Amino acid sequence: MNQELKDITGQEYKEGFVTEVEQEYVPKGLNEDIIRMISARKDEPQWLLDFRLDAFRKWQKMKAPTWGHLDLPPIDFQDIIYWAAPKRDADRPKEIDPALMETFDKLGIPLHEREVLAGVKPKESQVAVDAVFDSVSVTTTFRKSLSEKGIIFCSFSEAVREHPELVRKYLASVVPVTDNFYAALNSAVFSDGSFCYIPKGVVCPMELSSYFRINASGTGQFERTLIIADEGSRLSYMEGCTAPMRDENQLHAAVVEIIVEKDADVKYSTVQNWYPGDAQGRGGILNLVTKRGICKGSGSHLSWTQVETGSAVTWKYPSTILKGDNSSSEFYSVALTNNRQQADTGTKMIHIGRGTRSRIISKGISAGHSQNSYRGLVRVNPGAEGARNYSQCDSLLIGSKCGAHTFPVIMNSCPSATVEHEATTSKISEDQMFYCAQRGIAPEEAVSLIVNGYARDVLQRLPMEFAVEAQKLISVSLEGAIG
Amino acid sequence: MSKVYNLEAGEKLTLTLLYVPGRPWDERDIEVNLNGPGAELDLAGLYLCPDGESLDIRVVVRHNSGACLSRQMFKGIVGGKSRASFDGLIYVAQDSQKTKAYQESHSILLSSEARAESRPQLEIYADDVECSHGATTGYLNPDEQFYMRSRGIPEQEAKRLQMISFLAPVTDRLDGSTRAEVLDILSRM
Repeated sequence: MNQELKDITGQEYKEGFVTEVEQEYVPKGLNEDIIRMISARKDEPQWLLDFRLDAFRKWQKMKAPTWGHLDLPPIDFQDIIYWAAPKRDADRPKEIDPALMETFDKLGIPLHEREVLAGVKPKESQVAVDAVFDSVSVTTTFRKSLSEKGIIFCSFSEAVREHPELVRKYLASVVPVTDNFYAALNSAVFSDGSFCYIPKGVVCPMELSSYFRINASGTGQFERTLIIADEGSRLSYMEGCTAPMRDENQLHAAVVEIIVEKDADVKYSTVQNWYPGDAQGRGGILNLVTKRGICKGSGSHLSWTQVETGSAVTWKYPSTILKGDNSSSEFYSVALTNNRQQADTGTKMIHIGRGTRSRIISKGISAGHSQNSYRGLVRVNPGAEGARNYSQCDSLLIGSKCGAHTFPVIMNSCPSATVEHEATTSKISEDQMFYCAQRGIAPEEAVSLIVNGYARDVLQRLPMEFAVEAQKLISVSLEGAIG
Repeated sequence: MSKVYNLEAGEKLTLTLLYVPGRPWDERDIEVNLNGPGAELDLAGLYLCPDGESLDIRVVVRHNSGACLSRQMFKGIVGGKSRASFDGLIYVAQDSQKTKAYQESHSILLSSEARAESRPQLEIYADDVECSHGATTGYLNPDEQFYMRSRGIPEQEAKRLQMISFLAPVTDRLDGSTRAEVLDILSRM
């Protein structure tokens, strides 16, 4: 490997910096008092505190799942700080700390509405952002212009204060408290996340996005996001995340719930770039996430697109319950693991309504010493007449020390349903590399070219801003994979 | 109890498994170990569950050595209140390079109370491999039935022909009398 390549490889993770900002915490550990403290800090109503305490009591009786193809380091739940937030300046209580502004600037997250409005940036690239820093939402942009259309886009905490009836109606309606160990933990201690409501018949005029940043050491982040698309509405939602480089593992246990009413259309895209740990597998985020949507009404549509390049451990299965007749859902995923990363990710498609359709395209790429698994369930219930599913799960192996696995489950109880699944595993062939070498394309570049081509089916589903970033991210994550 | 087959270098095994009414379903749990280069497995299976059977087939194929080949093909028809599940794992150990492993599993549901499950799994720890699996569950195509019926073939016979052609890749491997036995069961499904 030449020096230049080593330099590039040395760059590793460019989002790995720490923001020096004064922060306040709740004490380390987890018990009912801590939960009361979190709830009090957020000024929550009694019903939400009761919800948390109930979840906590149930969580205590639950066991962490062990079925994943993962070697998960033991997590000491008493050794985590469950709530951390940057201190508000006493003189400027309304303004955002410039240090935070700078952090998000550095990450390329536009928190300045002014620039766009003043025409510095083109109007088409408008994205409304909810920026979450550790346990609190720092700001949500474009709220005003969105609210003119009746769209509610704010942090979860604000939604609890301003729209309690909506939150109460939908909270835990898709992911019940006892759904799984980490969902129960999240229900007890969740901090902040985004809340989004699109009223009947409204097409959201811009992309909505949430950006999650972990900064404080020794903490965990417990995001809670709730998206409701009312009848006939349309929404494209994006989510991104990064964290500093540290030798400790940090926990990110999120719950995302999406409700899609009749004829509504939601597109949910994620570019997950949490700190993946170093080449020896020290540190990195443990990303243990429950994401689920329900296509409630007939003709509704939910599409998941994810690019997973970060995290030391990923345990994530964005799923759709296809309840409404003729509703449809898609899952497009690229999961890339390098060094000692582990990913166990996939989806669940539950067909309940008549004529429901789903499509799963999953592309796994493993390099270094990593383990990458696809795990999925396609279930067709007896009444789901004419249901249709197609799944394709491909794996690409780079190097002889990594693993690629596929664990799909297909359960069909409907004689008029068709379910198809296919999976292949392969490596980058000598021929492909030779073809590139002949044309003067260096090996690293060739691998990145081939991998981007392999993942194209998924990458082209991403909103434009994300697609460019995702391609770059894949190239960077692969650096040092061959040598 | 699982039945274990060990294949050493250069050994070849061709196996056809039948799970049909009237025969003992004793080999439902199979493990094949490919232990030396050049070992080859050619495995096919057929299952018919016309009434209220419950069948669990489990197949594990381990590529413990490189340069081995395995092929699997399972076909099944599930009717009545039956439940059939196929659980097939292909395991490729680290450094088992130049492995080729293929698996197919297809099932057809005949009634609204029948259930079919598939768990085709791949666990791969080597990179120079060619592995694939495919699984489908579906029903007898009504367009094909219409085609045959519009040419004077009765509905029941049309369905039987569809089932025969669906199972053909596996029944072709059977000897004459066994094939006749399978076709006879089909005409009663």
